[in-house]
Amino acid sequence: MTISSIPTADPRHAQRRVPGAPAGAPVRADRRRPSRTARYALWFVAPFVVLFAGVYVAPICYAVYQSLFRIERDALGLTPPTEVLDPLFNYSAALQDSAFLASLGRVLLFGVVQVPVMLGFALALALLIDSASARGKGFFRLASFAPYAVPTVVSALMWSFLYSPTNSPLNQLLEPTGITVDFLGTQLTLWSVANVVTWGWTGYNMIIIYAALQGIPGEVLEAAKLDGASPWRIAWNVKVPLVRPAILLTAVFSIIGSAQLYNEPFVLSSSTGTIGPQYTPLMAAQSSITAANYPYAAAQSVILAVGVAALSVVFFRLTSRRSS
Amino acid sequence: MKRSTVRVPARATGAACVAALAVAGLAACGDPADGGTSAEGDGDGPVEIEVWTWAQGYDKAAEAFNAAHDDVQVTFTEIEPGSKGGYDKIRNAIKADSAPCLAQVGYETMPSFVSEGNLLDVTDIASPDADAYAPAGWSGVTVGDRVYGAPQDQGPMVLFYNKDVFEKHDIEVPTTWDEYRAAGEKLKKAGIALTGTYEDYDYTGFAWQAGAPWYSVADGQWSITNDSPENQKVADYWQGLIDDGLVGAGIWSDEWAAGLSDGSIATIAGASWFKGILKDSAAASAGQWAVAPLPTWEAGDEVTGNVGGSSIAVLAGCENPEAAWEVAHFMATDTTAADAVIEAAGTLPASVDGLTSELLTQGDDYFGGQVVDEVIIEASADVAGDWQWGPGVSTLTSTFAADMKKAYAKEGDATISGALASSKAATADALAQQGIDVGE
Repeated sequence: MTISSIPTADPRHAQRRVPGAPAGAPVRADRRRPSRTARYALWFVAPFVVLFAGVYVAPICYAVYQSLFRIERDALGLTPPTEVLDPLFNYSAALQDSAFLASLGRVLLFGVVQVPVMLGFALALALLIDSASARGKGFFRLASFAPYAVPTVVSALMWSFLYSPTNSPLNQLLEPTGITVDFLGTQLTLWSVANVVTWGWTGYNMIIIYAALQGIPGEVLEAAKLDGASPWRIAWNVKVPLVRPAILLTAVFSIIGSAQLYNEPFVLSSSTGTIGPQYTPLMAAQSSITAANYPYAAAQSVILAVGVAALSVVFFRLTSRRSS
Repeated sequence: MKRSTVRVPARATGAACVAALAVAGLAACGDPADGGTSAEGDGDGPVEIEVWTWAQGYDKAAEAFNAAHDDVQVTFTEIEPGSKGGYDKIRNAIKADSAPCLAQVGYETMPSFVSEGNLLDVTDIASPDADAYAPAGWSGVTVGDRVYGAPQDQGPMVLFYNKDVFEKHDIEVPTTWDEYRAAGEKLKKAGIALTGTYEDYDYTGFAWQAGAPWYSVADGQWSITNDSPENQKVADYWQGLIDDGLVGAGIWSDEWAAGLSDGSIATIAGASWFKGILKDSAAASAGQWAVAPLPTWEAGDEVTGNVGGSSIAVLAGCENPEAAWEVAHFMATDTTAADAVIEAAGTLPASVDGLTSELLTQGDDYFGGQVVDEVIIEASADVAGDWQWGPGVSTLTSTFAADMKKAYAKEGDATISGALASSKAATADALAQQGIDVGE
């Protein structure tokens, strides 16, 4: 099967494209002259393929390879270690490592709650800014996107100040009400991290959804209006279904992002003991590296990657089944 | 036909891996650095020795070396402090065969680095110079009976206290831990915290002083002994200070620095190098602070602990260990080099010549003219001798620090004893995964 045959063969693909983009025509032309075009195409994709293979595929393969070894040392560990091929050792150790399993459960819980909340905000914001009666669109677009422009480490530092157990400005504001929120206590830490992530990434997702909203053809909206649909109905029954692909895209990005949670909890961990060195799977892998156990860190990373891939596939399957 | 969005045939995946490794292999072949050291002198030109450090002043020490030598030249690179990523960088470089010959390594990390195969045994080259170093420093670079680097500095513990605050509340300088606690209770009435927190190595110093080592070797096997009865005594004492509300803001936090500046945190019981930290973090309270010996468990004892201290160690793969040792030894023992580090980093040298530096005999304006280093040098002679570091310290201290933060914040039922137990368990697990079984 060649790449060029995919988009036109299945009408569902044409349907699922971003509204407004013409489907089909240019791709079909390629089919008739495969050899010369293919040769040119090869030159054009070569830089990508080389980079992709060198900095992406190769490290993954190396990680898989490395995860198959077990470190062996003398009892006192005073001579350099040797690596022995023992393919399942690190995997079975990781799957019995309660701290690592807890970190996986933690990001799963995080994703299940944070991703829908964030995408809900992003969709609502995008619809508001897209609505005909909105004022100051440029300002709100920029204002909600601005947090994304702040590097995550910087934003986490800023939030760690706001969350400070001893002199949080938020708690100072709450003082008259007599409420003190322990943002970084055992109960709230995960949700305080979720708040930082939501703050940082809502605008980014909003822009993607907003761009898709902009691509909805005017006649569709006009037809709905002529049929007497209220703005609320148009948003919910016309716009949202049409930007569904964009929402699914942001959802997958966000699932992957949740699994890779690192910067925010790492920065906040200096202000609280509730974020331990193995709080998220990536932090756990990083602490294995710091403990000089590269094969184990590789196995942890592979488990995480496989888990995310499986989740993404399941997510795509579930959502595409519902659409057809 | 149902087409899945992500379906890659196994064959294609395998092919991609092979292709990718081929690309990576080509890149590796193009790398001229073979063997992974920076020794380039083969007859013509001087031997180049690269050194990675994080403490301040080593750039000047390197310059001093270069000025005094023609056959060997040092290239200096500043890296992040070890536990803040420096050690990871060194490890990765060694794994990638691109490590320098020399790097700064803390004494606490030496056994871990040895067990990981990161260091080069230079015992034969270095042993003749052993007498040039203070015993505490030399034991820091010795693992088993092998030597891996040149000791640069040490961190004997003393008591930094805010003299103005103590005088204002009519408190004598405490000489025992009981008196220290009593001082804290008086200060508490005035709304002043006795001290900030001590979370990782800063806490191990108290165990060191109490003769309560965290590692021991018996029957050819490591044990982690941080929950020994001696350690419980130290833990109970500090738990008492926490329970009574005598401990203030978390160490290294902005609130901690502010508290040291405005007099709402009255002491630091810690390594001599807090001298430099105080000047940086609490510049506003210049003239108020003074230094005394660390309080002891029994009145009249003269014993203290040590926190930190580091060496310039020779890394695995170094092709020119003689030249590397020459550089490391010079940086520790040459007076110009040692003075540069004393001046910039405020650390106490670990070499005999370094300890005779003029800079260590001068009154310090920040401490109201007190000759602080006199107290510190005396303390360095009183450091307890039975402390030992072992493998896995990064797991041990990072887990301990997180759980200590919980204990200080009175998070749930978190205690110091709990932190000792949990960090011991986590370290035993991490070491077992690397083939080192830890005994009881």
